[in-house]
Amino acid sequence: MFEVFVDALAYSDVLILLSIGITLTYMTVKVPNFTHGDYASLGAYIAFTINLFYGIHPFLSIPIVFILAGLLSFIFYLFIFRPLSERGANLVTLMVTSIALELILRSLINIYADIMSLKTKIPIFRGFIFQDYLINIGIFLLPFSTIVATVTAVLIVSLLYLFLNKTKFGIAMRASIENPDLAKVLGINVDLVYSISWFIAGGLAGIVGVFIPYRITANPQVGWDLLLRGFAASVLGGLSSIYGAIIGGAVIGFAEIVGIYLLSQPPINLPIAYRPSIPYLTLIITLLIIPKGITGIDFSKIKRKIVGGRNGNN
Amino acid sequence: MEIIRFVIDFLSFYTIYLMLSISLNLEYGYAGISNFGKVLFFAGGAFTVGSMATRLTILLFQGRWIDIEEYINTDVILGTKVSLFFAQHPLYGIFIFLFLLVLAMSISALLGYIASYPAIRLREDYLGMTLVVSGELLRNIAKNYQPLVCGTFGVYVPNPFSWATGIFRDLLILFILLIFSSGTWLIMEYLLNSPFGRLLKAMRDNEKVVESYGRDIVKLRIKTLMLGSAIAGLAGGLYAFYTGSVNPDDFTATKTFLVWVIVIIGGAGNNLGAAVGALFYVFIDRLIAYYKHWICLPFDINYMSYIILSIILILVIFYSPQGLFPEKPARTPVIEKLRRGKQIKSIKMQEQE
Repeated sequence: MFEVFVDALAYSDVLILLSIGITLTYMTVKVPNFTHGDYASLGAYIAFTINLFYGIHPFLSIPIVFILAGLLSFIFYLFIFRPLSERGANLVTLMVTSIALELILRSLINIYADIMSLKTKIPIFRGFIFQDYLINIGIFLLPFSTIVATVTAVLIVSLLYLFLNKTKFGIAMRASIENPDLAKVLGINVDLVYSISWFIAGGLAGIVGVFIPYRITANPQVGWDLLLRGFAASVLGGLSSIYGAIIGGAVIGFAEIVGIYLLSQPPINLPIAYRPSIPYLTLIITLLIIPKGITGIDFSKIKRKIVGGRNGNN
Repeated sequence: MEIIRFVIDFLSFYTIYLMLSISLNLEYGYAGISNFGKVLFFAGGAFTVGSMATRLTILLFQGRWIDIEEYINTDVILGTKVSLFFAQHPLYGIFIFLFLLVLAMSISALLGYIASYPAIRLREDYLGMTLVVSGELLRNIAKNYQPLVCGTFGVYVPNPFSWATGIFRDLLILFILLIFSSGTWLIMEYLLNSPFGRLLKAMRDNEKVVESYGRDIVKLRIKTLMLGSAIAGLAGGLYAFYTGSVNPDDFTATKTFLVWVIVIIGGAGNNLGAAVGALFYVFIDRLIAYYKHWICLPFDINYMSYIILSIILILVIFYSPQGLFPEKPARTPVIEKLRRGKQIKSIKMQEQE
């Protein structure tokens, strides 16, 4: 059971980082960005290539991965999404464009993997893992990658919190996300703010790529599979606040790993291959029951209802 | 000979993609419903045919229900036996063929009815995510729940026209596919130029106005999705019979996206655009499938075609958002009269000159 818990923790870290990015991009341009998962595959492949040719530990390549994936996301924003939304393209057009970019990226990664596995004669290019080792902390044996992933996630979340609440730029960012027109009037460079949000979002997804191969086999398809879970997490979080994304990521991560563990035990004995169905079903059910997500629920209203009901009875 | 086979194969695939793109055009181009789960309904039809063809035939004509273990282990043998049976009894084959197509359409229409529940309530982006994920969910279930289509390796579909032989059989199947697709085309052209089509366009452009004229948006959306899904289900059923097997991994979200590429490049809201877009895509796809071995590349050339298609799509969105064939006004009697009037006027002007 402890193993399952550790697994779920590592998985939640990954999903939290991913859904923060998805939520950030959604808040700025209002489009569910389908390319987001592929930054993760890109990150995984960059880390793997660097590790293979230069022998640098994957964790040390996190800064490079962050910058490269962020730059890609920034370029997509600058040259594709910004011009399109300025022209008043409708939501569906933006979505189709993002799916097209997703397919381009995934195909490029596929081609890269094919060429490299031919050139280097290493067949694992189409599906690789990173070597993990266990660290003894007190009575627990913890995988090193999980510790690093958790520390990174906590660090990023707290940095993001400080950035958004304590720095001038972060406050400007929140203002321009909340009301771009008003922010423009007040002299905030909304364009710059949006570009930086996209950069951060892409970079975070890239970092996810470094952690994936420690847990699951990374292949060119892995980004797409993660993306749908990222959607599930962000939608559960409400797609309107970063804190929602954090909650959503944690819930989906634990629901998937712990859920499939419990379901695969007797008396249900469900095959583990049904694992992806859990986040998919969560997404569908969330959208049908609480489309605004967890953070969209008005708890004070519910409280008032309950309290009011009691008063009425009295 | 290879050229003939290529043409037959190309046309057969074309008819299937034509039906898919017409159905998406109905939903997106006319009614403005962003159906990012086309593959869900396509797979619905294909899985219906795949899972029922062998078992239903044996149940109906031999009075024996195959238990799940036997079905999973020997689906190819059983399917071949059924094909041989159809070779001796052509009418039974045609009966099963038509019956299963109707069943596929009904099941897909039912799926469309279920999908209309979120489609009424959610905005385009949320609906898109729901339907993409639903498609992947169905694929995940089909891959793992073996009694449906035998799991990962797929199921063999018996050929209902096995009494015909050689190239004649392919021509016959192509002929049937052509009948179905042109029938769909004609019905849709008629329907979309009728008041119903104009109502759909009005709903796409402004729901509130349509509602204020006393039309029920909810019912209209349900109808559209059921109709579109039924067509997609028909395409799926025909696809299963044509390819002779159903494999869950064939029904990825990329398939949905390709249909979107066809509709947007061709021009949403115009069936001619959908037809030309499908022609363009299927030609590239089949060309690659047939002449792959002539080109020596260190990677799978399909990826290259995806990249090129996506780039073309983005270029079309940027420089000609209406597509290659922009939407035209519906051919109502009034507009037809006006058009004819203009022609008469211009003829008169020429005469005066």
